[in-house]
Amino acid sequence: MNAIAQHAPLHSTPLQSGALHIRGLSKAYRIESHPLPVLHNINLDVRPGEFVSIVGASGCGKSTLLRLIVGLEADYEGDILLDGKRVVATSLERGIVFQDHRLFPWMTLSQNIALALKNHPLSAAEKNRLVAEHIALVNLEGFENAYPHQLSGGMAQRAAIARALINKPKVLLLDEPLGALDALTRVRLQHELQRIWVQQRCTVIMVTHDIEEALYLGDRVIVMDAHPGRIKHEINVDLPHPRDRSSSVLQGYKEQLLEELVGH
Amino acid sequence: MSRLYANSRGLLLPLLLIGAWEYLSRQGAAGAYAFVPLSAIGSALIELLVNGELLVNLLASLARTSTGLALGIFFGVLLGVLMALSAVANRLIGPLFHSIRQVPMLGWIPLIAMWFGNGEFSKVLIVSLAAFYPMVLNTYQGFSHIEQRYREVGQVLVLSRWQRFRHVLLPAALPSIATGVLHALAFAWVTAVGSELFLSSGAGLGNLMMNAEAGSRMEVIVLSVLCIGLCGYLMTLLFTLLSRHLLRWRNTR
Amino acid sequence: MRTQRLLSSLTWLISPTALLLIWAVVAEAGIFPRNLLVPPTQVWRTFEDLSASGELLEHLLNSLSRLGLGFAIGSLSGLAFGVFMALSKNVEIYCSPLFHTLRQIPSIALIPMFVLLFGIDETFKIIIVAKTAFFPVALAASEGVKGIPRSYFEVADVYRLRWPTFVREIALPAAAPPIITGFRISLTRAWVVLVATELLAADSGLGQMIEMSRQMLRIDVVMVGVVVTGVIGFVLDFSFRQLEQRMFRWQTR
Repeated sequence: MNAIAQHAPLHSTPLQSGALHIRGLSKAYRIESHPLPVLHNINLDVRPGEFVSIVGASGCGKSTLLRLIVGLEADYEGDILLDGKRVVATSLERGIVFQDHRLFPWMTLSQNIALALKNHPLSAAEKNRLVAEHIALVNLEGFENAYPHQLSGGMAQRAAIARALINKPKVLLLDEPLGALDALTRVRLQHELQRIWVQQRCTVIMVTHDIEEALYLGDRVIVMDAHPGRIKHEINVDLPHPRDRSSSVLQGYKEQLLEELVGH
Repeated sequence: MSRLYANSRGLLLPLLLIGAWEYLSRQGAAGAYAFVPLSAIGSALIELLVNGELLVNLLASLARTSTGLALGIFFGVLLGVLMALSAVANRLIGPLFHSIRQVPMLGWIPLIAMWFGNGEFSKVLIVSLAAFYPMVLNTYQGFSHIEQRYREVGQVLVLSRWQRFRHVLLPAALPSIATGVLHALAFAWVTAVGSELFLSSGAGLGNLMMNAEAGSRMEVIVLSVLCIGLCGYLMTLLFTLLSRHLLRWRNTR
Repeated sequence: MRTQRLLSSLTWLISPTALLLIWAVVAEAGIFPRNLLVPPTQVWRTFEDLSASGELLEHLLNSLSRLGLGFAIGSLSGLAFGVFMALSKNVEIYCSPLFHTLRQIPSIALIPMFVLLFGIDETFKIIIVAKTAFFPVALAASEGVKGIPRSYFEVADVYRLRWPTFVREIALPAAAPPIITGFRISLTRAWVVLVATELLAADSGLGQMIEMSRQMLRIDVVMVGVVVTGVIGFVLDFSFRQLEQRMFRWQTR
């Protein structure tokens, strides 16, 4: 794994896609004719190939933000633009990995990943090759014919990542992807995520409640506040990948973030 | 060894009962009438096997059950899917379905007999109705309780309507549908025999019993009853094994 | 908003009303012979006649009394047996194989046998009803008692509760829900089997009324009988469900 210079992606490929512009985004749910504001006036610009981490207490609408970006929820105020086009519904340009892996229990590992290519105009042989490639990418060779209930939590989540990546989405959304895993697996998978992202280099927006994780992986860490959800603070993490968990710079950022989240 | 002992203890009571039965059958003419000696049952078995009567009637009952079951499953799943996936259909057909459901299966027999006669058509119709109800209910249950999170994956992967049905909705509902088939199977079998008892024309285990009742041949009746119980048990066992294989992706802890 | 909700709940009535209208129109138009399809108005008139003359009530009371007696005998002995099976390992080991085997035999199939044994008077019907009522209750009682969590016993132990208190305050409420459900299922099944039995072999009762009128080709009486059967079945089921809901509000479903 070679160290990647920090600003490389910006001028290596001109007009690289995956630029996200969010302007004045607000969303409210209606509960018994009372509006419940979930997000208020979110403004966010994400550069192509950037890795953005979002942290915040529960109830700050981070998951809702991701769901709006991926297109699972419509009906919002403001603008969400991906490469200039408004987001109105789901699309293969935007992939998502949920906290619960959501692999279909009745399909094997390969079938689950191959499902993402259902509407792809490739030949069957090409598709098989792609699936095998992505299974190798997430280090799950040998488990092609396993059913999800035979996989551990970490393995299933890796499969979900492979499924989300196989369409080469412009934006990859991660909704607390490692939240359901034990601490050891989490550390291992953070490492994996970093490796995979460095290879794929798509735009990534990750929601997490783990500050260390946010700092380890993100180029930028965004802190959200709750009731209603809004962006409170931003930190640029100017460190090259791969990162050292124990570096003092990282620790410094961590203290900063903790202050923001806990103290007022 | 102790396992064998444990299992064999369960046989004690049945063996005692059979012994008591045999004893009572030797207590004079009344005894022999009510409790036919085992030897009589044995010879009746041989007699019916040799002249083919048992097999013919058994196969007729099974054929009726299978046909009715197939029809009931087909239409039952169709209606269940329709009511689960279309709110309009549910509104329109649902209340009718549920109110007609209140009429017990066996209440339909006289009506159907009057409208369609005593023949094969009536019997198969009755069996299909018996299989129809649990299929609709279980299919509806299966399709309307599909977890939102799986549907969302279908949306995120931008699957077409048909693809979503085939790869997400149908497999997710399959366990419920399998339960429905199990119930439908049991009902169909019982109803087939019941319809034969009632509309006594043609072949079938029920008819065999009715004829034996008319001829006071208790041993044939006992034989038929045992046959009915055994077949019902075997069919449900077979299907349970089959569904366990088909649904092996389930995490049954 | 309120009118909208009212209107939407009225849509539930669309299909039953439509069916009724179609039935009335087709029947009046005389497309089918009178003895095959009578108009709903005729059925209603027959119903009024039968109730006025007391005939319906007489048959109904006959059936219901058989149901009551048979159900009481069957369900109470089933309850006792089920509780014993759950509490005593020995009883379970010796009795359970026989229990499960006999459970497989459909009650309807026993009708010819019991007719030969007991004739077609009251005894045989009550015995069949009792047999039908026995098994669901026994099964439910056994599972209900076995389902009382071990932890409840431990809590009672820690608080040094005396046995009667434990049974009344803890064990009974814990095991009651599935047992009551078992009673409900057994009652509705017993009702259906009773009417079926009366269809085949009886001299009084609702089923017999239906069968007689079927032979006399009086389909209006048949329909009245079938509808009344369905209504009674529904009422029995509904009352038990209400009982379940009221008694078990504490349950987290």
